[in-house]
Formats: sequence, structure tokens, C-alpha cells
Amino acid sequence: MIAVDGITKYYGPKLAIDGISFEVKQGEILGFLGPNGAGKSTTMKIITAFMPPTTGRVTVMGYDTVDDSLEVRKRTGYLPENNPLYTDMKVESFLRFVASAKNVKRKSIKASVDNVIMECGLEEVRGRIISRLSRGYRQRVGLAQALINDPPVLILDEPTIGLDPRQIYEIRQLIKDLSGSRSIILSSHILPEVSQLCDRVAIINKGKIVAVDTPSNLTAQLSDHRIIELLVGERMDDALDLVKGIEGVVSASRLNSHIVIETSRDMDIRPVIARKIVEAGIPLMELHAKEMSLEDIFMELVTEEEV
Amino acid sequence: MRSVYAKEMLIYFSSPIFYAVSFIFLCVLGIFFYNDMAYMSMLASRIAQYQLSTGLGLDKIVLRPLFSDMSILLLFIVPIIAMRLYSEEKVNGTIELIFTYPITDLQVLLGKYLAGLSVIAILLGITTVLMLLAGIVVSPDWGLVFSSYLGLFLVSASFLAIGVFASSLTKNQIIAAASSLGIILAFWAVGWFSDVFTASAVAKFLGELGIMEHLDDFMKGMLNVKDAVFYLLFSLFFLFMTLRILESHTWRG
Repeated sequence: MIAVDGITKYYGPKLAIDGISFEVKQGEILGFLGPNGAGKSTTMKIITAFMPPTTGRVTVMGYDTVDDSLEVRKRTGYLPENNPLYTDMKVESFLRFVASAKNVKRKSIKASVDNVIMECGLEEVRGRIISRLSRGYRQRVGLAQALINDPPVLILDEPTIGLDPRQIYEIRQLIKDLSGSRSIILSSHILPEVSQLCDRVAIINKGKIVAVDTPSNLTAQLSDHRIIELLVGERMDDALDLVKGIEGVVSASRLNSHIVIETSRDMDIRPVIARKIVEAGIPLMELHAKEMSLEDIFMELVTEEEV
Repeated sequence: MRSVYAKEMLIYFSSPIFYAVSFIFLCVLGIFFYNDMAYMSMLASRIAQYQLSTGLGLDKIVLRPLFSDMSILLLFIVPIIAMRLYSEEKVNGTIELIFTYPITDLQVLLGKYLAGLSVIAILLGITTVLMLLAGIVVSPDWGLVFSSYLGLFLVSASFLAIGVFASSLTKNQIIAAASSLGIILAFWAVGWFSDVFTASAVAKFLGELGIMEHLDDFMKGMLNVKDAVFYLLFSLFFLFMTLRILESHTWRG
């Protein structure tokens, strides 16, 4: 559905994105994860044909974003960053404008406006002026304008930013309901959101894709170390020295009341640690493996280069 | 194009700027009209007193000065009407919406331009009330009134094209209005060259470029194809330039 092939983008002399390639299949939700200024929005602007890449090409359902930009725009619903809207207009008249701008036939404009109002839960505010709406409702209006001609591709740039937890939950639910046969790309810097919503995650940093995979694979593959936390009743220093001597331990250090042990991934040495501690007569209180969360991986990947 | 036009009209009529501008325009024009009418009534009473017969009438004393005042007022007001057309979209970010909808830059531009023209036409339409009021006293030369309105509309169309062009350059509405006013004043000043250096061919050429020069004949009740074509080409030139500027967003960083 969406094929991004080696795109770069320069803003003047500044390189914003650097050789990004990926694909999104039908019905798939791809999450863009990255710190601010990593190139998420730039990539999205290129996919929606708002601007062309400096090099490389993007095709949406086989149409090139530069040569067949109108065809791409017909098939893409876009929620830009910060959700810009014509705030002087009423919800319904705004949506009617979007429908006719997106070539919805005159006869079916009313039906598609009603449909999208229902889908996005805007019944209560359909006659209100957009500037008087709450952020959550505005975000729904933003989604509604992206959805109005029922596009097969949705590009959502930070759809939940600035919302309160309940609104975030509602918008996520809405996006989940929308997915179906659509291909969706959404960007975020909230990790749980991406891991919950997306089939695959692309982590972007400094204009490059650092990793693309399913959230679970990312967690599994990219953490080549296993983290074990150990809590002992007394003689913490002895325990630390003891652990450091065990084969397979990469490093061990104190973290608050715990000892944090890093071991290589391919073997589980928890039984060894437990036995040695007990044999030394140190009271063992707690021993457990800590899965590396997506957040840890993200931090690791993103901060790696800066060090 | 129709969708953009409808949207722009909706926003014009829900924004305070349009009402403020029309209020000022109509008030100032009303004051000018009152002055001219008062002046004419004073002259008329003198003429009656001394039983003079002169060629003075409504057209010369009231209408012509009024129309030329209108052209000056429009020169200031049209940039304010035009300033929001692109700048507002840029500053609000809605430009990202409209440029990712399946409509061409040309359709967007025409929708916006026609909406601006409609607003000007509505303003000019309201001022015809003054003609009707004057008509109660003395019947004006309707041909002159028509050609003057046509001239005013054409010159406003040129102002608007300059205004849209300036608006496409910046996201600051004040800068857009100020620079379009600057361009309009420059094209007005260019016309004065022919008055100063009558002999030089260059001056004659520059004189022909003057944006107000071509209004004179309309105000005298003469319809010249040359003048109408000038305004049309002038507007087209700036609309074309606007389109180039808009296209540049696709290759500029």
C-alpha cells in the first residue's frame, strides 16, 4: 500500500531525513517512534504529497507522490501535526467543505458528513464553532476530516498529543476501530501507545530508521542482555562480589536496595545465582528477571549515538 | 474550486475583519458623499440666487469626486480583504490540509480570488445606495455611474491580485497587507512619470503601467477596451506569479 524507498530530505543545508525506506501493507498499523525533531513529521509530509523528497520516491497504492500527487491525495487521509483546523467554521460546515474538496459527490456529501460525525462521536457538537471546542473534540474533528472520503490510507501525526488520559483512551479506541482494511501510519513519542496500537514499530532517530519490527520482536531481539534484579536481606557487598564472580554475568551494580545484574541473553543463570547466594549463607529475599520494556530499548537506541 | 470559494465566503462572513473594514469604508464614503452633496446644494442655491447658468451638475460635483475617493479607499481596503487569504492558512497550519486535499493549486487560488472579488462586489453593491439617494434629488447620468463602477471593480480586481500575491509570500497578515499596499502605491506612482517627463518614451511606457491612469476614462464615462484589457492582464500577471510562489513550496526546503 505504502512504499517508501530511500528518501532523503534537506531543509536548505540541513539534512532532516536520511535514506528512509519501509513498507506498510494493507490493514497494517505502523507506528513511528522517535524524539522530537527526528524526522517523523517530515516523512509524513512527504508521504501525503505535501512536499517532495530531495531524493528517493514514495508510492501510495502504486501512485508516485510527486508525479501523481492528486491520485495520492485522493486516497490519503491526513491529520497533520498540531491538528490545524479552520477554527472560525462550524464543525458541520467545515466537514461539508472537506467532503466537497475531497471530491465526494454532491448527493452523498450529507450522508458522508453524517456518517463521519457518528463514527467520531461528534453528534453533540456538530453545530458548534470549532474554536470553542475542547481539545479532545477538536482532535475528533481532525480525525473526521481525514476520514471523510473513506480513504484506504491514513497518516496521523501525533494523534493523542495534548489530550487528557480519558481522551487519549477514546482516541486510541477510535483509531483501533478505524484500522480494519486501512493502512495507518501514526507517529507518537508515547511508547505504550505505540506498542498497544501498532502492528509494527519504526524507531526513527536523527533522520534514520534505527529499527523496524513488531513491538514484541523489538523487545526480544534488541535486548541482547537480560536484566536480573536481586534483593538480599543483609551483606549486600558480599553478595555483589559473589555475583560478579559467577560465569555469564556481564556486570553487576547496586541500584537503591537492589543489585542489578546484566547477563547475556542466551543463558538463564538465575538458578546458579540463587544457589551461590544461599550457599554463602546470605538471606535471599527476591530474585527476578526484568523484561526490557520498549521504553528501555527506545532509550538505548536513541541515546546510543549521542554518547 | 467551488468548495474553496464557499469556504472562503463562510470565513469572510464569520470574521470580524470583514465587518470592520466594510463599516469603515461605508462610513468614510458616507461622509464624503454628504460633503459633496452639501457643497452641491450650496452651489445650487448660489446659482439660483444669481441666476447663473453653468455646466455644473450632480455628475461633476458629486459623483466624479466620490468615485475617485472610492478608488483611493479601495486602495487601502482591498489589501486588508486580501491579506488573510494565504497568510492565515500558513500561520494556522491549515495550508497542510488544503495542499493535501485532492485539489490543484490553481483551483485553490481561483476559489480564493473569486471569494475576494465577491466581497469587493458586495461592498461596491452597497454603495449604490448612495447613487439612489442622489437620484432622488437629481437623476444622475446612469451611463457614467455604470462605467465608473466597472472601472472601480476592475481596478479592485488588480489590487486584489496584488494582495493575494503578497499574502502567498508570508504568514504574517500585517506584512502581507503592508507589502501589497506598497506594491499598489508603487504602481500608482509609476503613472506620474508621464505627467512629469512628457517627451520621453520610457516615461510614456511607465505612465501606461500606472494602475490609476487607466481609471480616468472609466470615470469620464468612456469604456476603452485598452483599459479593461490592462486591468485583466495586470490581475492575471499577479495571479500567475502567485501560482509560481505556491508551486515553490514543493521544491523549496
